[in-house]
Amino acid sequence: MSRVPTAALSKYLLQGQVSRQGCLRLTRSPQISARALALRPAIVSHYRSLHTQTTETPLSSNPAAAPGHVPLRKQLKDEAKKAKAAGKKKKKNASNQVVPGWELTVGIEIHAQLNTAKKLFSEATTSFNDESNSHVAYFDLATPGSQPHFQKETLVPALRAALALNCDVQPVSRFDRKHYFHWDQPSGYQITQYYEPFAREGRIVLQPRDGIAAEDGDGLAVRIQQVQMEQDTAKTMAQPGATHWIDFNRTGVPLIEIITRPDIHHPATAAALVRKVQILLSAVDACVSGMEAGGLRADVNVSVRRTDDPDAPLGTRTEIKNLSSFKAVEDAIIAERDRQIAVLEAGGVVEGETRGWSIGSTETRRLRGKEGEVDYRYMPDPDLLPVVIGDDLVAHLRESMGQLPDAEVDELTEVFGLTAKDALSLVALDNGARVEYFWRVVESLKSKLGTDIPENSACFQLAANWILHELGRLTSNPHDESAQDLGFTPDGECQRVPVDSLADIIVFLYQHKITAKVAKELLWVVYRGNVPEQYPSVADAIETENMWFHELSEAEYAELADQAVEGQEDIVGQFAEYKQYPQGKLMFLVGRMMRLGSEERIDPKSAESVMRRRLEEKYVPALERRAEG
Amino acid sequence: MSTHVRHLRSKIPSGVLPSLRLRRTPPLRLASAASLPTKTNAFIAGVDEAHPPPSPPADGARIRLAVKDNIAAQGLPTTCASRILTGHEVPFTATIVTQLEQRLGAELWGKTNMDEFGMGTHSTNTPYGQVSNQLEGRSAGGSSGGSAVAVGMGHATVALGTDTGGSIRMPAAYTDTVGFKPSYGMLSRWGVVPYANSLDTVGLIAKEVAPIQEIIHAVCMEHDPKDPTSLPATVRERCVSERQYYPSSRGAPPPDLQSQGLRGLTFGLPIEYNIEELSHRIKEGWMQVAEKIKEQGGRVVPVSLPSTKSALSAYYVIAPAEAASNLSKYDGIRYGKRASSASAEDSDALNGILYAKTRGEGFGPEVKRRILLGSYTLSSEAVDNYFKQAQRVRRLVRRDFDRVFRLSNPLLENEHDDGNKEQQFDLSDMDESVTLESKLGPTQIDFLLCPTAPTTPPKLSDIAKQTPFDSYMNDVFTVPASLAGLPAISIPMALPKSEEDSVDFGGVQLIGQFWDDARLLAVAGHIRSEHQ
Repeated sequence: MSRVPTAALSKYLLQGQVSRQGCLRLTRSPQISARALALRPAIVSHYRSLHTQTTETPLSSNPAAAPGHVPLRKQLKDEAKKAKAAGKKKKKNASNQVVPGWELTVGIEIHAQLNTAKKLFSEATTSFNDESNSHVAYFDLATPGSQPHFQKETLVPALRAALALNCDVQPVSRFDRKHYFHWDQPSGYQITQYYEPFAREGRIVLQPRDGIAAEDGDGLAVRIQQVQMEQDTAKTMAQPGATHWIDFNRTGVPLIEIITRPDIHHPATAAALVRKVQILLSAVDACVSGMEAGGLRADVNVSVRRTDDPDAPLGTRTEIKNLSSFKAVEDAIIAERDRQIAVLEAGGVVEGETRGWSIGSTETRRLRGKEGEVDYRYMPDPDLLPVVIGDDLVAHLRESMGQLPDAEVDELTEVFGLTAKDALSLVALDNGARVEYFWRVVESLKSKLGTDIPENSACFQLAANWILHELGRLTSNPHDESAQDLGFTPDGECQRVPVDSLADIIVFLYQHKITAKVAKELLWVVYRGNVPEQYPSVADAIETENMWFHELSEAEYAELADQAVEGQEDIVGQFAEYKQYPQGKLMFLVGRMMRLGSEERIDPKSAESVMRRRLEEKYVPALERRAEG
Repeated sequence: MSTHVRHLRSKIPSGVLPSLRLRRTPPLRLASAASLPTKTNAFIAGVDEAHPPPSPPADGARIRLAVKDNIAAQGLPTTCASRILTGHEVPFTATIVTQLEQRLGAELWGKTNMDEFGMGTHSTNTPYGQVSNQLEGRSAGGSSGGSAVAVGMGHATVALGTDTGGSIRMPAAYTDTVGFKPSYGMLSRWGVVPYANSLDTVGLIAKEVAPIQEIIHAVCMEHDPKDPTSLPATVRERCVSERQYYPSSRGAPPPDLQSQGLRGLTFGLPIEYNIEELSHRIKEGWMQVAEKIKEQGGRVVPVSLPSTKSALSAYYVIAPAEAASNLSKYDGIRYGKRASSASAEDSDALNGILYAKTRGEGFGPEVKRRILLGSYTLSSEAVDNYFKQAQRVRRLVRRDFDRVFRLSNPLLENEHDDGNKEQQFDLSDMDESVTLESKLGPTQIDFLLCPTAPTTPPKLSDIAKQTPFDSYMNDVFTVPASLAGLPAISIPMALPKSEEDSVDFGGVQLIGQFWDDARLLAVAGHIRSEHQ
């Protein structure tokens, strides 16, 4: 099986911000070789993917004959083929946010795996890619005669999430059973919170920098109806033929479901909301992983109505289930909106139904209509006591929660002078670990410089720049298989480039003790582990390899400039009279300086300014004198 | 526990257990009771007599224990008398079985037959052959009929049952035994396969009150962390501090019933229980017990429980709803025997409905009826009118009890914080025959006294002709205490001689306030001894 280029995949993940290998590395079990993957392709797509809802198969038909899960790569390939056959390139959605005469309305349900040690109702531990069926309690298997034991520690990340989403935490909430048959659910029901969820009435504020549609102007607030806790289901691993393997390790792992009000009217804004939720959840440490690792899934409810009558009720809505990337959220909404409008303009009626979406496709597809809907027969679970949450716990969690991403982005732009785009990237990368790393570098820089931020803001900007861009370069070599993970820890350390080493490099660079070129070399030295294996510290490496920057003196620069100008009278002549300053020619002369002198002692910027000054003060006047004389 | 499941029939020496027929679960033989009328079909599986449990306690106080087949005991199958769980073994032992074995040296003797998953009133809904009363051809009551007959026949000294709407008390009344349903939350349900969790209560059947009393005294303070509805230790302490006759009760010693009789105790006769279906002999027996109580110095007054009429309907909404939910897991994937015609090639979908074949073949008709009933009452179109209404009725039933009992319900302390500790009666609800004690309402009582079943055990041949609704009616006296989670006991009572019915015993029921179990048992024991 040929591999789909990771670049093509990365388009669908985190708006292409994710490193090219990131997604596959996360989903791949270390024990499974590439060859094994090729033999069992379905495993890859199911690894650690969160199951939110049975979609295709549950009640209606022969499970063996039901359409199985199609691996991501195959979907991409098929779509590419289809597009080729249709003789068209994929359309950009840039101008697709609005259809004149129509208003789009969207509400979103987001499911996220909570970051907990234990399952929701058993003492079995949560796990990631452990041996199948190795973390399963009697209750997880719905063993007759077993009972649920609510693990109250799971409330902590759930409450953090609710607080990050500005929700009212309910003093009393309860668990209900939601019934439907599926092999991945041994009890025949999922325990969720239907009648009395633990959090209600929240809101998320979206700003232009969050990537909302231009039509949403300065921003908007999306209301959250409720947040509820619920159980995940078992993981199904399709095998060749009609065989399915079931791994109960995931059964009963706690999830939260976040339900928004229908406050969204533009596709890009819907994607921005999901992205923002992911950033918020990882910022407060509520969730294990984001969409790219299968820890987050979204269902969207879409309806349209004509804009001519503002009092008209919302149109009939359809639900698109199990969207697994931000791009899929936006694309699916556009496709479904356009489909509904086409139906209505043709005089048809939109059916309330459940629809599906494949990555890269241009149309949603019908999964089941109203008549095929399962009646979930919600019932309070008679074994589970109400959950009583004290104000003191909520107050404590609120105090200990730390800075939320919006405030953090504000600080990064206002105090550290980052652009909004860079600040957002920094906050979003590596599930929030990258920005933690930045804060630790800032602390280290402060102590090394012995001063505070204002005097040295350029130094901190330099650090941000390096953490965003230079660190990224380290892992961008596609041929170096061994070196693709920087190994950020959630508390902001980086195994491959320790905070202290990076701070050393940046301070030396900022203080002109080394050149930018040397600084970049040093970063590789650190990344390859030569510090501390070969050199105890960055400073030792510079010392040993004689890489300190002994810059030329002003006189030495001037002498070098003189040597460079020698025999270049034609070029010097162009500086005498010009419409636009001949910068290109200046850089040519600077280049000569670099070649003539010892490069490791020259700062190109200093060389440039000296050359410029020498031209203005000496050679151009001399030329003019000669002309006059 | 080292027990050995064997096909015992040939190994038991004849004469030791004359009519006890222990069978290995597969293959099932259906409807055998009709052809073998002398067999009671009380046991489904048993412990091999050739391999008794090691080192039996020497003191002779040992309990020979029979366990209803919906309670797990490792080493023996737990099938709930359902074809769908044929041969199924739960991989752990129920807390209550472990407690009885370890605390009281009980010896597990066998698993007893029952109505499938506890659904039934006569223990006839079972693939193991309907249970027959020791009185030939009569109903043993249900659903714990096998447990009651095992005690009635003397095969077990104590039997464990479960009571969801009368499933212990009814069989006790039909088999001339004592059946006790404790307060909800006292005995652990860990290892008990649920029928309706909010009602299911583990209880005990014995010939006399004393062995039951001994067991309750031994385990009543034990919280089981494995059962989320097991009352926490602190709450048990608080409840006991307001109650008498517990080994750990504090304060002045309670009245000695032996010497003082029933002086100072008031018994209420619920006037709503005097229903049309009540047989005149049961009513006469009931009144005779009331007379005996008066002779013993007790006071007997009529009381009103106005929600009684709705209680049965509420029960038959709530219990099937929970049952439909609980039984979802038996789909042939993890649990339940896959339908024989369902193979990998030919899926077990029927008319496109997944799992239908497996569930269609595995469940008996009464279970299917209640699953359908429960699925309907929880459906989005019916939930408001049925399930939610039934929950409201359940509250009213509990309020009725709280108003007539002198003791307050210790679980409702917070609800009394408004200072209005005496629950007000609405006089318009009340029957005219109830006399008012004070301006607050009628006399408050210690125990309710009422029949357990409206009739003597019916003939199995008559039951076959009944509609399901007829047997639902049998639960009318037992369901209210279940809905309120109150302790209730059925003890035998003598009936006047009759020519049309040879059965000369019935069951009379005493119901107490929540966690008044110890006093209820003490008083029931006293009445039982005086009545014999």
